[in-house]
Amino acid sequence: MFDGSRSVWRLMEGARARYAAAIGALVVASCFLYLAPLVPQAVIDGVLTEDAPRSTIVDTTVRLLGGADYVRDHLWVPALAIVSLTGLAGIFTYLRGRLSAQATEHIIVRLRDRVYDHLQRLPCTFFDTAETGDLIQRCTSDVETVRTFLSNQVVEIGRALIMLFVPIPLMLAIDPRMTGISLLLIPFITAFSVVFFLRVRAAFKRADEAEGEMTATIQENLTGIRVVRAFARQAHEQDKFGERNRRYQELDFRLYRLMAAFWSVSDLMTFGQSILVVGAGVYWMADGTLAVGAFFYFFTAVGMFMYPLRQMGRIVTDLGKATVALGRLSEILDRPLEPRPVAPTALTAPRGEVAFDDVTFAYGDGDPVLSGIDLHIAPKETLAIVGASGAGKSTLVSLLLRLYDPTKGTVRFDGVDVRELDPQALRRHVAVVMQQPFLFSKSIRDNLRLGRAEASAEDVLSAARTADIHEAISRFDDGYDTKVGERGVTLSGGQRQRVALARALLQRPSVLVLDDALSAVDTRTERQILDALASRRGTHTTIVIAHRLSTVALADRIIVLEHGRIVQEGDHDALLRQAGPYARLWKIQSRDDDGDGEAVSLEPTGSERRPS
Amino acid sequence: MTTEYIDDVDDRRRKLDLSLWRRLLVHAKPYRRDFGAMAALGLVVAAIDTTLPMLTARLIDEAQAGVGLSALRGYGFAYAAMLVTIATAIWGFIVLAGRISTGVARDLRTAGFARLQELSFSYFDTRPVGWLVSRLTSDADKVSGLLPWFLLDLVWGSSLLIGIGAAMLWLHPGLGMIVMLVVPPLVGVSLLFQRLMLDSSRLVRKTNAQITATFNEAIAGVRTTKTLAREEANLHEFQEESGAMFRYSMRHALQSALYLPLVILLGSVGVGLALWQGGIDVGGGLSLGTLVAFMQYATLFSMPIQDLARQFTLLQSAQAAAERVQGLLETEPSIVDTPEVEARLARATVEDGLAPDGGPAKITSVEFKHVGFAYKPGEPVLRDCTFRVRAGQTVALVGPTGGGKSTIVSLLARYYEVSSGAIELDGVDIRDRSLHWLQSQLGVVLQTPHLFSGTIASNIRYGKLDATDEEVREAAELVHAHRFIERLPAGYDTEVGEGGSRLSTGERQLVSLARAVLSDPQIFVMDEATSSVDTETEREIQAGIDAVLAGRIAFVIAHRLSTIRGADLIVVVADGHIAEQGTHAELMRQRGRYWSLVREHRVRASLEHPLAGVTAPNPA
Repeated sequence: MFDGSRSVWRLMEGARARYAAAIGALVVASCFLYLAPLVPQAVIDGVLTEDAPRSTIVDTTVRLLGGADYVRDHLWVPALAIVSLTGLAGIFTYLRGRLSAQATEHIIVRLRDRVYDHLQRLPCTFFDTAETGDLIQRCTSDVETVRTFLSNQVVEIGRALIMLFVPIPLMLAIDPRMTGISLLLIPFITAFSVVFFLRVRAAFKRADEAEGEMTATIQENLTGIRVVRAFARQAHEQDKFGERNRRYQELDFRLYRLMAAFWSVSDLMTFGQSILVVGAGVYWMADGTLAVGAFFYFFTAVGMFMYPLRQMGRIVTDLGKATVALGRLSEILDRPLEPRPVAPTALTAPRGEVAFDDVTFAYGDGDPVLSGIDLHIAPKETLAIVGASGAGKSTLVSLLLRLYDPTKGTVRFDGVDVRELDPQALRRHVAVVMQQPFLFSKSIRDNLRLGRAEASAEDVLSAARTADIHEAISRFDDGYDTKVGERGVTLSGGQRQRVALARALLQRPSVLVLDDALSAVDTRTERQILDALASRRGTHTTIVIAHRLSTVALADRIIVLEHGRIVQEGDHDALLRQAGPYARLWKIQSRDDDGDGEAVSLEPTGSERRPS
Repeated sequence: MTTEYIDDVDDRRRKLDLSLWRRLLVHAKPYRRDFGAMAALGLVVAAIDTTLPMLTARLIDEAQAGVGLSALRGYGFAYAAMLVTIATAIWGFIVLAGRISTGVARDLRTAGFARLQELSFSYFDTRPVGWLVSRLTSDADKVSGLLPWFLLDLVWGSSLLIGIGAAMLWLHPGLGMIVMLVVPPLVGVSLLFQRLMLDSSRLVRKTNAQITATFNEAIAGVRTTKTLAREEANLHEFQEESGAMFRYSMRHALQSALYLPLVILLGSVGVGLALWQGGIDVGGGLSLGTLVAFMQYATLFSMPIQDLARQFTLLQSAQAAAERVQGLLETEPSIVDTPEVEARLARATVEDGLAPDGGPAKITSVEFKHVGFAYKPGEPVLRDCTFRVRAGQTVALVGPTGGGKSTIVSLLARYYEVSSGAIELDGVDIRDRSLHWLQSQLGVVLQTPHLFSGTIASNIRYGKLDATDEEVREAAELVHAHRFIERLPAGYDTEVGEGGSRLSTGERQLVSLARAVLSDPQIFVMDEATSSVDTETEREIQAGIDAVLAGRIAFVIAHRLSTIRGADLIVVVADGHIAEQGTHAELMRQRGRYWSLVREHRVRASLEHPLAGVTAPNPA
């Protein structure tokens, strides 16, 4: 709890002055609010009745209003005073609301931005193990919990305390005996409220869990609706759901019964407090020691401070939630960011030279995915990487982008250790197209421009043409303004890959990496794209990872990866001549074994298509 | 596309549609006694709320007049009685409201869930699962939560308003009229602000949903963000959203910060008026007690007005939710048993060898006759499909993705209804058979198999709910799932996680295969059922599958040549029609589409496992 309050205090940094001002406004507002009923009291006791026992407050108030005789003839004056006092209270109440809302919302907008920013800059290793659902929960509902805490709970507790303590001096001045009576049940009401909510917390939690289970059942049923139908299990599913639905209803109804008990008991106590005031008031009025106006004042004041106190229980029990939420948020915010050098080496006009020097890498404590990789890629060279899934091809690319750091060895870009470069600068010069590219929910044009925001319309068009996606885009009703992603059109895998390729080209990279990037594109289109890319030769270094050997055969050099090691290296012809995995793979892909002994000749052999 | 269905936060104010609420009230019918009791309690509380100030007034006056304390004892009892009554009433209507709202919510969910089990697949195609879940959760809660409180506030609020008005007019008609001058502005202010606040809170929720989506995107696309070095630009865009959130939250906060002081101010105008005009009359017959009562009434007025204004605004805002729930409940499933089939099903006795619907229980042939299908009129996805399979035969459907293979299978299962032509089982149109019976005869295994959270055993048992452990195990053994299950720490009792997420796709496929085997179907449908199982295991399973398929009809969609080659009939589906059909040998001789598919297949095969088995003799 101490840690919790300290982190709350830290959170409030920059907004503390506003909160203090809000508290000030609240005090002023409640002063006015409690002064208002003094007016009718003074009028009743000091003006309308002759011989009432009156306190100095009544006399002062009457004098301020212009004296008993004047007021008796001008009763609109006290009426106006009541409205003015309430109006002033209103202005300060509004100020309080405004100030505390500003303070809270400023804190929250800052917290949100910080969480978002931090999240983006966390290293990839963080996302390898984190669950998306859990992260989103933290970024949204945990932030909301903190917001509720700041905007409601802190403010309500302050309000309850101030509303309770501000009138005490006034009440004491009017009648100490009645003051005692008015506060008699307050500790019990507050304690009851707090104890009650602490004790029913478990019931709330159980109901929440039952609701979660019920929702999960619907979700699962709908996701698996094909299975349900395929086995004609509708009745079984309804039984299962009916059971969860019933359980949730029972637990939810139990909450209602608990709340019914709470509100009836606390109302009993609240009304009991009012009746105590009435009883004592009548007793002292009857023996002539209490004036009607004074009685009215106490009756009104009790009504004003009682209500906020009843809410205390709920608020106090919710305090713990904010601490938990803040704790979960700091688990993200306290994570170290992606490492970056203090004084990064500048990259001006990079040549696009890549080198791996004796690089070994393992994810976490796992077995090495890459071991002892020595690889130098000359500027403007086209290198192809071939290997089975899990051989380490994509990891090689991740290391080049510095998404991960090698366990051993060095990755160099333009001869500089990538650890000495600003990661963002490095990544701007290395464009990657992945097998399952991610597109943002924006228009296609905006997605393409992600690579370079200032790209001209012609640039966008020419990149789209090179990636052979222009025609497909033009066929959409909104063309380049078509929205993609969750709430837009769904692109096919091949279309996404081509959009991502165009995006990468717009980046004007010095190294272009195609990581199985055309796997969902049909062979003929792939050929066209590769030809178009080949014509750009000399503009950038190209690294191609592919399964279709017809694709990689184009490369200047091919390396074959197996279990994290380079087992073969050379151009297509050289590799074909070697008795190794590459030649065998080539044979498989070109062989016909339909079982009927029919030879199916494949299209032109690699050597024919290889540009010389 | 589907955006018209997606907007969950659409609770704009609309004109009150009374017929909609009347139809929804049907669900409240079982609770009419509770509603009645609630209304009665509301009246009682309103009556007490009205009487209390009068009682206090008389008490003050009598105490002033110097009546002895013993004479005032009666008041003590009256107060105590009212106190207990109010507390009891409050207890009562919270319990009643709870019974109604949780009950109606449960009934709506039960009805909605049952409806979802009947609705045809075309309904699900356009509606995301999350959207449907919200209909049964948040929308059902919103509607059912509103009903009891709306009624209570309507009864309590309006009778309290009438009560206060009547009491004031009775106590002092002139003063009563004057104090009631504040009612119209109170109503106006309340309605205005409740609406403004509702609108701004809708904006807040909408922006919040947007922010959640952006976080989702940030996490899902974190690698892309990094590789494009987009961090600053993304943050900038996010800040626009969080800035909008700031503005809308502030707007809402300022509205509520303004609303309450305004209501209190108007109340104080009432108090001031009572003091001013009442004070003048104190000499001439108005007692001090009555004056105090008037001042209390003036403050009391604002409560029911605020509540009524809120309830009406809530009703308007809940209308969208009500429409969505009612819309779900009123959607009729498009594929149902015909009246004739229902009549036959209703007949109690089932003869030997016949299904419950009176048709033959054994399926010996399936025939597609000129079958055509279109999701939307004028855009056929399948045209003129004709082929025939007999018991014991396997038909392989091959062709490019999106060509219509899965549609053929979906039509057979009556997930969709044919648009033209007919599918016949032993010469009987499937539309003349019971839907439930037909679907029970199918064993379907899909490429992305869905498992339910629970144990592996319970998932396999889904195929036959009363299967013994022995039967479950036998099914698993048959499809070679037993081996991997045994290796798991908890064996068959291993929890598979939500959607089977704790198992690999290949393992899920094996479990779902075992599930289908256990259900002992007459027709097997395998849609890429073993695509994620490694080649070695697949070879092993094949023997098991062959044993399972013996004597049954099987529809197999597969990409692997080894699976296709042995089929009795290969149907090549492309561009929505059957391009070729025949055996492997026949089709290879034709050198048509199948032949070129086989050729492309070889490249694909090496794509899947490019170096598997190839590098065994290590060249190094």
